[in-house]
Amino acid sequence: MIRFLSLLFFVVSNSIFSILEIEILKGSDNLSKVAFVPFGIESGIEENYGNQISKNIEKNMLLFGEFENLAVNEMLSYPSSENDFYYRDWKVLGVDYSVIGKVNSVNSLGNLNISYSLFNINRRIKILEGEIVGSEDNIEGISKIISNRIYEEITGLRGIFDTKLAYVINSDADTYQMCISDIDGKNEEILFTSKAPIMSPDWSPDRKKIAYVSFENGLAEIFIQDLKSGKRDSIQALGMTNSAPVWSPDGKSLALVVSFSGNPDIFSYSIKNKRLIRLTNHYGIDTEPSWSPDSKKIIFTSDRSGSPQLYEINTKSKRKKRLTRDGNYNARGRYFPDGKSIFFVHGNDGNFQIATKKLSSRYIETLTSTSLDESPTISPNGNIIIYATKDGSNGYLGGITLDGKSRFSLPVKNGSVREPSWSPLLN
Amino acid sequence: MEPIGIFILAVICQVYSCAANVSDSVERMQYASVAGEEYLQEDKLETNLDDKVYFDFDKSTLDATDKNLLEQYLPVIKKAKIVRLEGHCDERGTREYNLALGERRALEVRDFLVVKGVSGKKIRVVSFGEEKPLKSASNEKAWAENRRVEISLY
Repeated sequence: MIRFLSLLFFVVSNSIFSILEIEILKGSDNLSKVAFVPFGIESGIEENYGNQISKNIEKNMLLFGEFENLAVNEMLSYPSSENDFYYRDWKVLGVDYSVIGKVNSVNSLGNLNISYSLFNINRRIKILEGEIVGSEDNIEGISKIISNRIYEEITGLRGIFDTKLAYVINSDADTYQMCISDIDGKNEEILFTSKAPIMSPDWSPDRKKIAYVSFENGLAEIFIQDLKSGKRDSIQALGMTNSAPVWSPDGKSLALVVSFSGNPDIFSYSIKNKRLIRLTNHYGIDTEPSWSPDSKKIIFTSDRSGSPQLYEINTKSKRKKRLTRDGNYNARGRYFPDGKSIFFVHGNDGNFQIATKKLSSRYIETLTSTSLDESPTISPNGNIIIYATKDGSNGYLGGITLDGKSRFSLPVKNGSVREPSWSPLLN
Repeated sequence: MEPIGIFILAVICQVYSCAANVSDSVERMQYASVAGEEYLQEDKLETNLDDKVYFDFDKSTLDATDKNLLEQYLPVIKKAKIVRLEGHCDERGTREYNLALGERRALEVRDFLVVKGVSGKKIRVVSFGEEKPLKSASNEKAWAENRRVEISLY
């Protein structure tokens, strides 16, 4: 009977939840070991809360292969406060950091008061202490916030566990879906379904809108969709193709590509007064614009030299500068959040891979070793790049962390997934 | 008895949860059908000519075979109201660049026809970049078939 019920649960949970699921292929080179101790609970409170919170935090922190965990049943003690915490219990098991906490109270509105602490075992000190209040209906959200704080304390980087991913799913020959989900693949929403292709999604800086390209009217046309209302506005089709929309950091403009009479150039489109400002004017292909974080420059792809290379235009002076010279195909450039480096698609001997380059150096570093890689997107903390790639005839998403080079993949159950776009942080 | 019961229930649950996924998304999704210009509602003009010209990787130049084929189209084009040129690429490289490359290929064909006397007003140019491949395999043969401009007359 128990076998029967557990099979039932297994089948049901696998099919209903998340369509994208992260699979770690290779952990970081420099794995820290973290113990996520089940949170204690004040007597009278439902025990499950303590377990749920620590399990969620553990799941989040392990998501990208950056850490390893200590199994709960290997722990020598289960402290929930500093008074019960003994460093030797963790040092002996090779643990580098321990997370403990306690659910202190639940009030009549169903709000939990939770405290948590983080210990650095090697230095034998407590490095973080926090308290958070949240609804018992939002254990997932509370856990993400705690996970972010813990991640920030250990790595020095902003936590990204409450960010989202947008992507396009091509489930069969005639079905394309514009989707978003939590960064772990949960809570997937289908924003738009079409019989015609969808491309190039990009999140607005306030996370409230997504711009993308749809061929529903027979040509490449840019739409902005409001996530709350579902309302879609077309940037009225102006040229033969209208594509590559990318939000400016202040959210007031889109850089985009319009091909008037067959010559694609880069424009800046002001959303409020619907005005187009021309940025490039060259008979070559100019496409794939993206703003620098300080809004002073736009990187773009141009084949004006004979093959696709990356260039940068100063948005004020309109002066252009060539950024890449290695190899004969460098395209789809984006800036790192700190503005000091770029990442892009680098063609090398027929292989298309994701590469990075410091703006101050001429050396390219290739990150991937597959051969049909495209559409890279970066986490807001600048540490993880997710990109689209292919295996046989199905497209899936791959990922790599930059500090430890852990690798993971996000396949989809049916069809192909591509064109990932990482949301900004919730501010 | 129990193993059979498990199996049947597992199948039912798989079917149910797939259906639940689909109906959920039908309610929330925005659905669009492919519209397009009016001429597409008409029937294509039948020709017994091959309806595609092909290109080398990252190139948009027409070779002798291509030009030969296009020359054969000229008399038929006289009877057509619209000539639709649809540009495509293989999957390699980036999608947006390929959208522009597909357009350039279609324009190469258009320019050839215009030089040969076809009125520019008759010609419609559309690019789908790499979004609508004919073959989904990742090898030279499939890629060669995908690097094309499709010609249809209305």
